Amino acid sequence: MIRLDLEQPTSSFLLRVRADLAGRVTAIVGPSGAGKTSLLEAIAGLRSETRGRIEVDGVAFLSAAEGIRLPPERRRVGYVPQDGALFPHLSARRNIEFAGPDPERMRHLRDVLDLDPLLDRHPRKLSGGERQRVAIARALMMRPRLLLLDEPLAAIDQTRKERIVSFLARLRREIDVPMVYVTHLPLEALALADEALVLDAGRVVAHGPAQALLHRRDLGGAAVAENVLELDHPRFDRERGVVRAETPEGMLLSIPLETADGARWPLLVRVSGDDVVVFTAPPGPLSARNVLEGPLVELELFDGSADLLVGTPTPLRVRLTRDAALDLALRPGMPLWLALRTRSIRPFAG
Amino acid sequence: MAELGWIVVFTVEMALIATVLNVPLALALAAGVERLSVRWRTLVDAVASLPLVLPPTAVGFLLLELLSRYGPVGRALDRAGVEILFTPRAVVLATAVMSFPLMYRAFRIALGGADRRYAEVARTLGASPAGAFLRVTLPLAWPGMASGIVLAWCRAIGEFGATILIAGNIPGRTQTLALAIYQAVQTGRERDAVPLIVLAVAVALAAIGASEMLLRRQREHRA
Repeated sequence: MIRLDLEQPTSSFLLRVRADLAGRVTAIVGPSGAGKTSLLEAIAGLRSETRGRIEVDGVAFLSAAEGIRLPPERRRVGYVPQDGALFPHLSARRNIEFAGPDPERMRHLRDVLDLDPLLDRHPRKLSGGERQRVAIARALMMRPRLLLLDEPLAAIDQTRKERIVSFLARLRREIDVPMVYVTHLPLEALALADEALVLDAGRVVAHGPAQALLHRRDLGGAAVAENVLELDHPRFDRERGVVRAETPEGMLLSIPLETADGARWPLLVRVSGDDVVVFTAPPGPLSARNVLEGPLVELELFDGSADLLVGTPTPLRVRLTRDAALDLALRPGMPLWLALRTRSIRPFAG
Repeated sequence: MAELGWIVVFTVEMALIATVLNVPLALALAAGVERLSVRWRTLVDAVASLPLVLPPTAVGFLLLELLSRYGPVGRALDRAGVEILFTPRAVVLATAVMSFPLMYRAFRIALGGADRRYAEVARTLGASPAGAFLRVTLPLAWPGMASGIVLAWCRAIGEFGATILIAGNIPGRTQTLALAIYQAVQTGRERDAVPLIVLAVAVALAAIGASEMLLRRQREHRA
């Protein structure tokens, strides 16, 4: 549990954050210049002007009342700045072992982050994504009580993002360290976070479960009708040219063979809520390979559209036109059938 | 004029001692000045750079006043039985003072140019402020600092004005390469000056080449 009640002067405003972060991965979301990086730096102890109280798992990092201000080296917080900030004069291996050797931890990180091909290279010989992996390993090597990640995908080209996201998803599963993850892309937050804190001009404008928050139109709306799903246990049917894989909740989906071929599993995919066809009765034979059933959980009508949350085994967000929603006479609780074309399930970064 | 070999060895030796003495002082000052407010930093920078802009003879005169038997420092040294003026120690002192600004300014640029984030990340990884400086900032700044050391040593080799005022030009005792060239020309023995000048040019070229190579390495580090 991270308890924050802090003030941090920045060049353009006073950052004020009062929140208890309990998520395994908390996304700090907001536009550029909202104070996201300043918040991470305050937690890491890199800003001498921070006032108030910061407490992580019962340990006070900062407490004006008790006169406590732990220096960064005593906080045991792994911090990964935007471009990784690998020490340019040290190889990847020596970067990772900067805090001291720990063969057991090293073995685990090599496996989880696929570090072996990188260890003997210098930072300038690594790609953006490889640098991030080394920087994350370096931060995790000292067994931190908290991992802070500042826009880890910002400096990475689109094609490599998917790989890093899958590494981060794997970290979330296999390394027992809570993460605070800064991003200005709600979709990225949706892929990884279970809790979100939305900042704007130094103020907390929303805080709550990531799924609920990041779909809210009043908070930017970029992820309004987007679904990010984690798929695993693929079964390849090469003759029919599809792959069946399931979400952690056991929802089976058919995805294109080319999406699944050579992918790392579990695989993150995205489904746009605009690509889903809604039926109020079981549909007859369809070309779409995925037909899912679930009750309508939420319905919000807007001027030109309607946002739905459907209680399929893994809940899905759907966006219809207002006209379609009215014609179907939608009301919460009614059973719905959703049809998803195989090709509407895309790799996360694609 | 003393023997050519003696002059070269003596000059190189004096410049080396002066350079070695300057390194910890320049490092402490360049690292410490970063913590000062802008106003104090500007003042320290200006004072430390004075020998670079003052005529060397003016610096020599000030040192002479300071170290003479009636000067504030000279009196104390005299009482302690330490002799400096017109000895090899005076050569070291004059060359150290005159070459200090080059080293200090190079250290300032090299340390100031090292990205602060690296030291910050090192702190989050458990390094103390001194540990972060020694393990991260210093190695990153080192090529730039080494280039400054080479240039300062070169400057020490060629120092003339302050040296002649406080160390004199005593053949076989305080006569450096620069002083020997001066003496050869003054006494109409220009031919004797030629090998000295060739040597001075060779040392300067080698040092500038080394300095450029080190700076290139620093740029590669930062890229």
